[in-house]
Order: sequence, then structure tokens, then C-alpha cells
Amino acid sequence: MFEFFNQPEIIKIVVIIGSMTLFFVGLFGLLTQKHLIKIFMSVAIMESGLFLLFIGLIYKQNALAPILTDNQQGFINMNDPVPQAMILTAIVIGMAVLALGVSFAIEYHKLTGKTDIDEITSLRN
Amino acid sequence: MIGFIIFVTFIGIITIAFSAIIQKKLADSIILFMGVGIGSVVLFFIFKAPDVALTEAVIGAGISSLIFLMALKHLGEKK
Amino acid sequence: MNLKRDISTSTFSGFALSASLILTFLNVLLNNIPTNITRVGDQFLKLNGSEGVANAVTTVVVYFRGFDTLGEIAVLFIASLGIGLMLDSNTRCNLKADSNFMLKTASQLLFPIIILFGIYVMVYGHLSPGGGFQGGVIIASGVLLLLISHKEFEVPHSVITLLETFAGISYVLIGLIGLVVLDKFLGNFLPHNISDMGMLLSGGIIPIIYIIVGIKVGSEMSMITQNLIKRSDDV
Repeated sequence: MFEFFNQPEIIKIVVIIGSMTLFFVGLFGLLTQKHLIKIFMSVAIMESGLFLLFIGLIYKQNALAPILTDNQQGFINMNDPVPQAMILTAIVIGMAVLALGVSFAIEYHKLTGKTDIDEITSLRN
Repeated sequence: MIGFIIFVTFIGIITIAFSAIIQKKLADSIILFMGVGIGSVVLFFIFKAPDVALTEAVIGAGISSLIFLMALKHLGEKK
Repeated sequence: MNLKRDISTSTFSGFALSASLILTFLNVLLNNIPTNITRVGDQFLKLNGSEGVANAVTTVVVYFRGFDTLGEIAVLFIASLGIGLMLDSNTRCNLKADSNFMLKTASQLLFPIIILFGIYVMVYGHLSPGGGFQGGVIIASGVLLLLISHKEFEVPHSVITLLETFAGISYVLIGLIGLVVLDKFLGNFLPHNISDMGMLLSGGIIPIIYIIVGIKVGSEMSMITQNLIKRSDDV
């Protein structure tokens, strides 16, 4: 079983299916939960699944991390640094937007005292 | 060997994420959400991306879960 | 497992649509996995040797894609501004319980070590994994530890304002100086020799910009956590 999972095609299939399932679990939580905080948590789980997909698609088994150490002569046989730089930016921005959304939820609760989205009906008539 | 570790970690992350959404109490689901972040750090380390692993460990499994905990305190939920 | 509310037809159709979209995406991805194409990352790895920086991801974030980092700092600033507008006030409520002396002593012992580790991660960002974002958030988590355990501790507002404006203005100023000297916004106008690779003072302006980004991110995260913990109570 260990040799079966070590082939490059099987690893790619496992990565794609696993991260898409995590995205799908977050989408299910977004559509069916009632509490405001749980809806934000489902959005964060969806983002986490996307980051795993990006970094997992460029994984080669014999390549090194893109940092030069003492044993190497040049920047050869290394991983791709461009997706890592993009995901670094995306993680920080995702956290900042999540903090803004949570502060909106706190203010609304202090104003009216409701956190169920079935009871927030002030715009409906 | 590495492929088997990736497979088992993915199954663990998906189980923890699904269990974090279904919980009845809010405090339990925040702690399980922190577990998703930690499993993500392990996967980033296996995929040979040290900068992304460090960022996800500090932000995803640290500050992001603490923001939810502070919101829990202000909403006045019973523990 | 019982679902917690009735699912209307629009929700169910949205569910089915997203499932079919994801299955189509999976099908396209699994059938066309490309094997040998030239990527932008390989060209960046070749160009990285002439900058004299050991960490390739740092060069891509700060130098080759430096304008995107400027946009990301702007997004962080807008989010911090929004949180400060909603939750800040002159009257603050304090945490109701006082902590015992074990927690106070331990947090006072740990706080300088955390700050020192955050500054180390920030300054050595171009030689080992780390950088401005990671170091800044580590410093903010140290400040958060002190905020939780001590009842009267508060980061003064003027210090945070001074640090943020200094960091933001000097980022744009360094870019403009590069435009004047080298005809390139954020050009590398300090000396960067290849023989210096691995030393602390190497890479020209790249460590300087990353330290500036780290100061800005650290001060903004401390302000966000302070606003979330000690919000006003006059509603």
C-alpha cells in the first residue's frame, strides 16, 4: 500500500479530490447553518481548502524548498516560488476581512440582540 | 511512504472540518476550527513550502481562532 | 443527521449547481495535467541569483511583485480602519475578572522573549523562512498576551498612529527614490553584490522594505486585537 500511494499521479489525484472536498464541506456549512459566527467559520474553511489546492498542485517529489542553503551551488531543481508568494498574501487578507465581518456581527448583536439569520427580518416586509 | 501520510492527513482534516460545523455549542466548534489550521500547517510542511507553513501557523491557527473567541465573549454565550 | 431548517427550492438548486460546477472542474483538472511547460517561476529563479538574496520567496514578494504587496498593505489598512470606526470609543469597558498572580508573573516573563523572537524572524527574512508578515503577527500576539492577563494595560493610541504613518509613508518614498534613480518604481538602488549572499547586509533594499512591512502589520494587528477586547459599552 505504501508503494501504491507514492506514484506522482496518485498523489495529484488525492490532493485535488481532498482539497475540493474540504471546499465542498465549507460550502455545505455556509448553506445550512443558522448562527452568524458559524457562517463566517465556514467561509474560512473554504479559503483553507483553496490554499491547499494551490500549493499541492505544484508539488514535485524530488525538488527542494526555494531557499538556498550551504550545500547547493545555485537555484536549480527547486519548487516554484510564485504560488507561495500569492498564497502568503491571500492568507493575510483573508484574516483581515474575517476580523471586519466578525466586528459587524458583534455590533449588530449589541444593537438588537439577535444572531440567528432567520430572525434578522428588518429589511423584509 | 509520503503519499500515504498525505492521504491520512487529508482524511483527518476533512473529518475535523465536518465535525466543527455540526457541533451544537459554539466553543467546541472554534477549537475544532483551530485543528483544521494545524492540520493545514502539517500539509504545507510536507509540500515543501516553509514560508506558507509559518504564515498559516501564526495567522490561521493563532490569531484567526482568537478573533472568534473574542467574539464569543462579546456575544454572551453560555459556555 | 437532521438539518436545522427547511431547505427551499432555491437553496437546493444552488447546491446542485455548485456540485455540478465542482465536478466539471475536477474532470477538466484530472484529464489535462501538463507535464513540461515553462513557468514564470523558473525564470524568476534564474533572475534571483543576480539580486544576492538567499530566500527566493522573499524576492518574489518584495521585489518582483512589490506593487502587489503595496496593495495588500492598503487592504489591511482599510480593514483596520473599518474595525476602528465600529468598535472604538472614548469610554471603554474593562474585563470583569482580575487574574491571579501566577498568570501575571508568567506573562511578564514571556513577553520580552516573544518580542525578541518576532524581531529575529522579521530581520532574518531574506536568509531563512520568515519575513515581515510573520514577525509582525508574532509581535502582535505578544501584545495580546499582555492585554488578556493585565486589567489596566492599554497600548496608547498615539504610538500606534506614529508607527503606522511612518511605515506607510517610507514604503512609498523608497519606491519614488527608486523611480528617480533607476527609472523603475521600487528599483534596487542600494549595492547588492552576489558575493554577499548569506550575509545579513545583502540584497539592497529588500530587507529594509520587509522590515517596514513588518512594523506596519504588527502595529495594525495589535490595534485590531485591542479594539476587539476592550470595546466600548455605552450602547
